[in-house]
Amino acid sequence: MATFKPGLVHAPVTPFKRDEQIDFGTYAKLIEFHLANGAQTLAVPMHAGESVSLNDEERMKLIEYAIKRVKGRVPVMAHASQSGTGVAADLAQRAAALGAAAVVATTPYYWTPPAHMLLEHFTQIGAAAGVPFFVYNSPEEMGGVKITADIVLKLIDRLENFAGVIDASLDWQFMIEVVSTAQNKRPDFQLLTGAEYMISAGATGATGMIAPMAAVAPRAVQKLWDLCVLEKYEEARPVQESVAALRQAVKPLGVAGLKAAITYMQRKGGAMRAPLEAPTAAAKKKLVAALEAIPALRDEPRGW
Amino acid sequence: MGLVLKGVMQAPVTPLNDDFSLDLPTLEKVTDFHVRTGATGITWPYHKSESLNMTIAERKAGAEAVIRTVARRVPVAIHVSSLAVRDSIELARHAEDKGADCVVAITPYFWEPTPQSIFDFFVRLGTSIGLPFLAYNSPGYLSGVEITSDLLARMIERLPNLIGVKEASFNSEKFLELSRCALAMKPDFSMIAGVEYLLPSIPLGGRGSYSSAGAICPNLVVELYRSCAAGEWAKARECQYKISRLWMIFRDQYPSSLKGGMVMMGRPVGPTRPPLPTATRERQEYIRTQLEDMGILDSEPYGW
Repeated sequence: MATFKPGLVHAPVTPFKRDEQIDFGTYAKLIEFHLANGAQTLAVPMHAGESVSLNDEERMKLIEYAIKRVKGRVPVMAHASQSGTGVAADLAQRAAALGAAAVVATTPYYWTPPAHMLLEHFTQIGAAAGVPFFVYNSPEEMGGVKITADIVLKLIDRLENFAGVIDASLDWQFMIEVVSTAQNKRPDFQLLTGAEYMISAGATGATGMIAPMAAVAPRAVQKLWDLCVLEKYEEARPVQESVAALRQAVKPLGVAGLKAAITYMQRKGGAMRAPLEAPTAAAKKKLVAALEAIPALRDEPRGW
Repeated sequence: MGLVLKGVMQAPVTPLNDDFSLDLPTLEKVTDFHVRTGATGITWPYHKSESLNMTIAERKAGAEAVIRTVARRVPVAIHVSSLAVRDSIELARHAEDKGADCVVAITPYFWEPTPQSIFDFFVRLGTSIGLPFLAYNSPGYLSGVEITSDLLARMIERLPNLIGVKEASFNSEKFLELSRCALAMKPDFSMIAGVEYLLPSIPLGGRGSYSSAGAICPNLVVELYRSCAAGEWAKARECQYKISRLWMIFRDQYPSSLKGGMVMMGRPVGPTRPPLPTATRERQEYIRTQLEDMGILDSEPYGW
């Protein structure tokens, strides 16, 4: 299995029209924006892309659309998370057949399986994918279910195409344990931080970052990434603080906040799909005030 | 106030006789060992020192012994967290009276207090003493009860003697939210990691840490801080990976295994008080094999 290094991964939102249909015209613009602004890999559709609100056919259509649009300019990583192992494995296999360069899956939604069942879940999805396979650790979003370093080491034994962990726990104890033990066993093992907290991740040995905020502030994200690759952490800190401020501004509204922030930058995030709601006028006002208070946003591109 | 805490500070374990009574002469030995082997500060009695398994009278006796032993060579902080707020206040006043330099207190135990009641607690504590104090944040152990950046800003504004946070979330987002808030308000503020996760915290504005491994491998701990402060990241990773591996061994039922490991380093400190277990002979032997594997038996001091 050739090494796959996702590096700086942009994770586009999925824009919807008012009738909740996917707005492919805007999606194309978003993809071009990400490619023109530093994406080394595109991950579609992550939770920021409202993956769970798409049915399987829509998800496949979106992945296929992204792969065709990107035309090999960067690798496309397909997100295949589902509750059921078989359903997820099917998505993984179809995404790989469409040309996805890699597949990523979370712990299952809703269920809270013990370690040996998680291992089985991931083994089946990874085997079905065939391409480099990543697991996504996000206990806060997933009912407290954690991927442990032990599961990761067993996945290395079981799957030749097991490529790494995307970690959204941001937990130093897990990050260091997993990167130090897994790279010992598989030197090209990749640890990606699942949010834009690259300084701590980079220092501890992470090799990549998923950055949904790149749709809002691609220059700051790029600068953070570049400085962390050079291990210039002291220089990176003010940039890290700006990116963190952006994330905190958007966070109370979740994906709706991210889409509103994209629109604030004079691009288009599109409408939400139920059950997520458009932000209220008051919430939007608060978000705009928070964004106005981030000086770094003044250096970011407006419009497409 | 003037006191700035930095570097790797040590928290002596509490040595016990075979009948579980307090072994004050050995507490003095442990304390002196830490000061001689590079501790930049001493705090007693943390949870690692079985603080909650001691009576208030024992905690006072131990605090006096520690203050006397350190004899102003480095700053001494007394950890006053107790189940009852009144006990915490009493311990804080005692610490001040006996010549401590600083006090540390965690958010109140058990009750899952609201941000306002956490604020009220720290105001009550902070205004009952003239000493500087550290607030201790440990959401992982306290059902998610935590000091947020909004709360910290209010505390810093209200309490001039709040000089730092002992931050034990080990989480990039939580640490950075507190550090960027605090350092903007008070550049000398001491952000101190709960144990020696220096590699991910120093680049985020951390000034140092407490320590789990200092009684086992003080040289390694000092080298980790030195390499982080010097920006020698490859060296820092090498040290951090070893120390994190030790933390994985010590973390469960802390400090039972740590005390077991100290036996293997020729620094026995007796049993651990129930409900915590005492490390068995087999457990001690296992720890010895781990220390040997990491080269610690050859590179660290044996005995007192």
